[in-house]
Amino acid sequence: MSELKFVRPVRVRPLPEGTQPVVSLNGVTKRFGKIVANDSITLDVYPGRIKALLGENGAGKSTMMSMLAGRYRPDEGTIEVDGNPVKFSSSKDAITAGIGMVYQHFMLVDSMTVAENVLLGQEGSFFIKPKEMEKRVGELADAYGLEIDPAARISDLSMGERQLVEILKLLYRESRILIFDEPTAVLTPEETNKLFEALWRMTEQGKSIIFISHKLEEVIALADEIAILRRGKIEGELDPNAIESKADLASRMVGKEVLLEVDREPVEIGDPVLEINKLTGLGLTDIDFDVKKGEIVAVVGVAGNGQKALVEAVTGLCKPPIDTVFIMQKPWRKFFAESTWNRSMCYIPEDRLGLATLRNHNLVDNLLLTTRKGFSRGPWLNKKRAERDTIELIEKFDIRPGRIHALAWQLSGGNLQKAVLARELYREPRFIVAEQPTQGLDVSATEEVWNRLLQARDMAGVLLVTGDLNEALQLADRVAVMYRGQILGMLPTSDDATPGKIGPLMAGIID
Amino acid sequence: MWEFLIPLFAATVQSGTPILYATLGEMMTEKGGVLNLGVEGIMSISALAAFWVSLSTGSPWLGFLAGGSAGMIFASLHGFVCISCLGNQVVSGLALTILGVGLTHFLGVPYVGLPAPGFNPFDFPLLSQIPIIGDIFFKHDMLVYVSFIIPFLFWFFFKRTSLGMHVTATGEMPAAAAAAGLKPIALRYFAVVSGGFIIGLGGAYLSLAYTHLWTNGLSGGRGWIAVALVIFAFWRPGRAVVGAYLFGGVMAFQLRLQAMGTNLPSSLLLMLPYLLTILVLILSAWRGHRIDAPAALGTNIEPEG
Amino acid sequence: MPLKIRKRDEPWKWGALVVFLGALLFSLLVSALLLAGQGKDPIEGLYVLWQGSFGHLWALEGALLKAIPLFLCSLGVAVAFRMQIWNIGAEGQFALGAIGATWMALLFPDLPGIVLLPLMFVMAFLFGGLWAFIPAFLKLKLRVNEIISTLMLNYIAILLLDYLVFGVWKDPASFGFPMTPEFTAGAIIPSIGGSRVHWGLLFCVVVGVGLWAFMRFTRLGFELQASGEGPRVAKYAKIRYGMLVMLVMGLSGGFAGWAGCIETSAVLNRLQPSLMVGYGYTAIVVAWLARLEPLNIAFASFLLAALRVGVENMQLELQVPAAFGVIMEGIILMTVLAGQFFLIYKLERKRRS
Repeated sequence: MSELKFVRPVRVRPLPEGTQPVVSLNGVTKRFGKIVANDSITLDVYPGRIKALLGENGAGKSTMMSMLAGRYRPDEGTIEVDGNPVKFSSSKDAITAGIGMVYQHFMLVDSMTVAENVLLGQEGSFFIKPKEMEKRVGELADAYGLEIDPAARISDLSMGERQLVEILKLLYRESRILIFDEPTAVLTPEETNKLFEALWRMTEQGKSIIFISHKLEEVIALADEIAILRRGKIEGELDPNAIESKADLASRMVGKEVLLEVDREPVEIGDPVLEINKLTGLGLTDIDFDVKKGEIVAVVGVAGNGQKALVEAVTGLCKPPIDTVFIMQKPWRKFFAESTWNRSMCYIPEDRLGLATLRNHNLVDNLLLTTRKGFSRGPWLNKKRAERDTIELIEKFDIRPGRIHALAWQLSGGNLQKAVLARELYREPRFIVAEQPTQGLDVSATEEVWNRLLQARDMAGVLLVTGDLNEALQLADRVAVMYRGQILGMLPTSDDATPGKIGPLMAGIID
Repeated sequence: MWEFLIPLFAATVQSGTPILYATLGEMMTEKGGVLNLGVEGIMSISALAAFWVSLSTGSPWLGFLAGGSAGMIFASLHGFVCISCLGNQVVSGLALTILGVGLTHFLGVPYVGLPAPGFNPFDFPLLSQIPIIGDIFFKHDMLVYVSFIIPFLFWFFFKRTSLGMHVTATGEMPAAAAAAGLKPIALRYFAVVSGGFIIGLGGAYLSLAYTHLWTNGLSGGRGWIAVALVIFAFWRPGRAVVGAYLFGGVMAFQLRLQAMGTNLPSSLLLMLPYLLTILVLILSAWRGHRIDAPAALGTNIEPEG
Repeated sequence: MPLKIRKRDEPWKWGALVVFLGALLFSLLVSALLLAGQGKDPIEGLYVLWQGSFGHLWALEGALLKAIPLFLCSLGVAVAFRMQIWNIGAEGQFALGAIGATWMALLFPDLPGIVLLPLMFVMAFLFGGLWAFIPAFLKLKLRVNEIISTLMLNYIAILLLDYLVFGVWKDPASFGFPMTPEFTAGAIIPSIGGSRVHWGLLFCVVVGVGLWAFMRFTRLGFELQASGEGPRVAKYAKIRYGMLVMLVMGLSGGFAGWAGCIETSAVLNRLQPSLMVGYGYTAIVVAWLARLEPLNIAFASFLLAALRVGVENMQLELQVPAAFGVIMEGIILMTVLAGQFFLIYKLERKRRS
């Protein structure tokens, strides 16, 4: 598809003979209940090198790193730092040993300032002075060339800036080993470049970086060594120079020839199911496009550029100005006043557990959540029929564990998403809004979800909001790029030039 | 007119003092992320503890400390249930109130109507000479003067000490505190226990300074008012002072009206503080464009592997 | 610490019962110690308690009598708690129900029971429901914390009751004691046969079963349960959350109102301040012990009613203050809360790595 986006700087990085690893994991195992998240992991990390940890979601990468960072404790095996075995009973111990982690979900206190967050736990004295703290942090940021205002409140910062704060935290603690968990998920391509440059600068100062990702391109560009994790075990370690193609790497990740690609057959296009006409308001500017039956239109962009507002307007949560949004050819107001439970619109939100499902209820109740009117006669609810239909759906969609009384929180991400999808498709929708439908899913689950969405085109039009560019390019007929509440471009996926155009548009660059 | 207002304002300060202690104590607890609805129960039992110790030892200061200690012990029960046992914070606080009030009635029976050594008002040197201000603020007992310092200490603790910052972080996002190497569980206990101490001081005030006799029902709903005032204060000590004196004023005013003999039935008068509390909550919600509550307030910290 | 906390894969089945019994035992133990501390013989105290609660038929009848209002209040509290709406106002809603019923009884003393009693019940439900609507409305429209608003309304309700019985509704023949005139026969719920228990018991059964059926078999009942997860999911599922909040609070207040009506009519036969014995607060204990389920509420309310009767006996025989029962309730609730930890988690020895 597209070539590697990142230019690997020519660096001579020979590892001196006999260099001792700065961190070693030996036979480390971790279990959660019956699930073995990490199985006898053995891994070495060397000074001044970047090790990428590659694997599908659920392979155990985050768990492994959480143990290194002191958040979890291994059930078996040892961790060694500088050759000495260590036992971390908390993050503090790991930090003291020089290991720090930048989490996927930032550990920042919104109401406090950058300086306060960076110095939390490291103040140096019982009495503190805000101005003095800000000066200290400002000096540190300057030393590493990071642009950030130490007096700013976290709640006012962008995602990229917040990530810088996380990095500052580690730098302040003089961490020698920095672990990054999927750091580029929230960055524009330009911010990603900046991050990589910062990481290379840090390795030049002798720091080691562990970089968790499932994005093959980034891993190939960035890493000195690649470790592949599959189902909790280390599948192997590679030298990036020895990799032939992304396909090669991907197959090693999942152990079979599965590429993240699907066959998209054209489908007959029908009437529009969504029409947005010059929508300005709710933080959006001049949004104008439509989705027809048989089409998938993807909306991409860095998180926080208006996708949420768009979804809220389209799904009925927020009221858009009059005559701007039409769903199934009805004006917004009329549509939501008259909407039926089936043959209408359905919404598959990003937040599976907290929004789309009842976490402490079983699968039957979760089916009923949006289909309850279909099982009602007058005020009465036919639970027996719902139970029967749930059993059918579990079989059809291969949802595990296969018992209807399992509670939502007990399901894995992939199974939960399948359950939500099963339920929403049961409603025979004509218009589907899917938000990040494969986030956190492994390759096989992703494939299943993608195929279902493509199948759904036979009876519906789909609005796909996603941060995964590959997903957008694979599934959609057209891709809309959002930036600061506007659609900067609507590009057909059939055009080969499209993938290259998306990046700049995501950063607001129009040529 | 001034002859009426100045004593009223002075009584406001006196009447608002226990509420101030309780509000700041609850605020401390909530800053750590724990909701403690047991304030009423804690005030009750602390009042009794303070009374009993003062009666037994003859020292009101020991009584004052005993009140704080009782508050600490009781609050730590709530802390244990919520922090270590992950119990529902709302229900646990209610249980504490039920327990505290009941225990107070039960154990206080032998002391009803008895007096104990307490704190008496005196003129604060120099400051009480200031016209008007001196009459309103500086002719009270020692515990009132102590209460003047506490809001400042509170502010200083949270803005100028690292421990205060740690407590704030725990109340906003325990995971962030843990990631920074802090111990959110210990910090929460700190917030609950020290908050309980301050609430207990408020209870002690009721039996040692506000009155010197032991009677039942001394707390009279002030504990609940304190919980509401924390919201009204947007979790900041300065506004807590305003709120506490507002209620102190209403209660003092109510007493004066009754003493003067009015046509208004006493039951309706007595409703004033409770109606005002609801009003205050409505106003706070109205003006609160951004909710200043600690983000993790009321949630429990789930243990990790 | 050599112990580690781990989440159970499946909730502990018998755990709820074990925790409950454990809490009961612990509470008895602590209460016995308290008695000893006051210079009373704990064994004798507990014996008197037992006798008073379960000793003979008379005690059981007493327990049933108290269980009736407790059951209704607890049902109401549970319905609200299921939606995570912390209705602490059962006490005040109870009072308002009593006021509503009394109003009808005093306004239409000559109506026959067939007409008057249903009228009283309707008014009690409306008054109690209205008293609960106020905080519900404030919560929905103004985001006012319902814990405090319901509680404040408790205090206000009791003062309102005082105002009425000291004032406009005072019985001229009562020699200054605050109480309404005694209700006419038409306003009193008759007893069942010759026992002390009245037909309010049947009413409870009907309401209890009705609520259970409502939750289980109707769409609205489902929506109510689903809303327990929070307004966000409710909104997603296009459940009219606001309407449900009002409905739930209305029911909650209405049930408590019915309890007030029954007590005023069947037990006191008039309205007076001694009506307020804290059923509204005990209801919270009952509801939580029963894990918010109607069948369990029936058992738990009987148990705590028996406790009250037993404590009354202790008051009589041993001059133990009534607060003793309150203390036991408080300890039971706190212990249950602590013990519920073990329903979701278990402690394991840390394995040596």
